[in-house]
Amino acid sequence: MPEVRKLSDGIFELVKDKKHLATRNLDPGKVVYGEKLIPVEGVEYRTWDPRRSKLGAMVLKKFDISLKENSKVLYLGAASGTTVSHASDIVSEGAVYAVEFAPRSMRDLIGLASRRKNIFPIMADAGKPDSYAHIVEPVDLIFQDVAQPNQAEIASRNASRFLKKDGYLLLSIKARSIDTVANPKEVFKEEVKKLELAFEPKFEILNAKDLMPFHEDHLGVLAKLR
Amino acid sequence: MKVTTWFGVLDIGRTGEILESDLFSKDVRELAHRSLVLKENRQGLPPAGFDLKDAALESRFIDSSAEYYSLLHEVTLEAVKIQVSGALTPDQRIIQAVEALDDLNETTNSLSERLFEWYGGYFPESGLIGEALAIFIAKYGSRENIGSDNPLYSKARGSMGAQLEAADEILLKGFAENVCSLYERKRQIEVYIENSMESVAPNLNLIAGPMLGARLISISGSLEKLAAFPSSTIQVIGASKALFKHLRSRAPSPKHGIIYSNPLINTAPWWIRGKIARALAAKLSLAARIDFYSGTKDSSLVEKLDTKVRQIRASNPKPPQKKQESGPKSKKNRRK
Repeated sequence: MPEVRKLSDGIFELVKDKKHLATRNLDPGKVVYGEKLIPVEGVEYRTWDPRRSKLGAMVLKKFDISLKENSKVLYLGAASGTTVSHASDIVSEGAVYAVEFAPRSMRDLIGLASRRKNIFPIMADAGKPDSYAHIVEPVDLIFQDVAQPNQAEIASRNASRFLKKDGYLLLSIKARSIDTVANPKEVFKEEVKKLELAFEPKFEILNAKDLMPFHEDHLGVLAKLR
Repeated sequence: MKVTTWFGVLDIGRTGEILESDLFSKDVRELAHRSLVLKENRQGLPPAGFDLKDAALESRFIDSSAEYYSLLHEVTLEAVKIQVSGALTPDQRIIQAVEALDDLNETTNSLSERLFEWYGGYFPESGLIGEALAIFIAKYGSRENIGSDNPLYSKARGSMGAQLEAADEILLKGFAENVCSLYERKRQIEVYIENSMESVAPNLNLIAGPMLGARLISISGSLEKLAAFPSSTIQVIGASKALFKHLRSRAPSPKHGIIYSNPLINTAPWWIRGKIARALAAKLSLAARIDFYSGTKDSSLVEKLDTKVRQIRASNPKPPQKKQESGPKSKKNRRK
């Protein structure tokens, strides 16, 4: 019988042969992207691969993502829903507003959202939060994983509109999509500075670590409104 | 202050109380369509931090928070379904077709080679390859079945190939039929691309030809994106490896990407290929823009390009003199 250890609300570590990051499956019996399902004492857990999910990597990197059962999340750059599915597991009584721009990814996301009542798919440009302002309520967490050169600006635009005063911003910054040739460390420094000063609202950086060895040239950032 | 939400238009007082509300009907499809209209229309935006759920409860649009989420879930799902079904534009179909064609080329070549090797053991003298060989095998099977009127008859009689047994013959014939149908499919897709390029991007089609035009759209992702690219980008589309090598180190910049397949470039002498690539890319980007934004055919583009290419050829009749080798330069400040 695998041993279950709770890391934070809704996030667990299973020890079976080796350690697995896992969430409780909100949609029992269904696999989303080929992850393992492990039942423990009547509860089904889904393993969470940090190499395929920046949020997963951030959890292992000890970012305090502070999600509760009823948290509301704005997820920018939802892609096919790999990570969204785990976010949906964690906030089982809450809501995940999943914004994605590409029709191809949206097709997969629709499949996921139609089985999970707490995912609200939105096909729009994350850089234009006005285009979904009539749908999204104030949220506790904005998670952003968009491969765009103006990531910091997108984060601040969304935060100013949707982030609660005591909410958090979790950001995965991909150095390669800001500048393909520059040194990633320089790019990270630059982006963190932008988050702190360049836009309104300004952020206070609580934690910033690279996501090695799970993702190369990615920086994870946890911030809150100043 | 008027605030537009997915469930209705609200009039909000100064302290946030709802003065008046014009609620929409609870029809999911109708709400989804409205939501898509609101996405484009930026009027009556809710103020930052506006709690939509509380407003929906207060205005009596719904009775409970659970009802709010279940209705919103249905509406957002319906809205994205409408968006996705509208996303398969004609240029996206061309992209699928041209990528399928590339896959087919690869598969057909490797299967065709396999057929050549396999059948070679039975009739190595046939001298046939590719589609001709596949058609031959599908028709005759063993070389014994060739009639005396066939030009290959004498070769078949004197062949050093092994005897083709019945079981092997069935296999080979079936395999050859498959290969034939792949060649057939390739032609069908090519015709499809030619026809659709003519209607979707007539100017691009005129300058680049259907295959190159379709590949440019395919690599860019859409005609819209191709139209937004500067011509310097179009010039090196498909040469990203060389381009990034150039940007990272001191490697020379690529002169051309996939536009090299255009005869204007690949038949030109090497010293003016870069110049012609630049001229061609300039006209390609113009063509893509006309196609995306107006769609009317403009044959003057081709004439201008011809004139330009003639000029380049006339003013560069001879290869340039080689410059003195200047030795490797310092790479100190560059990332590897």
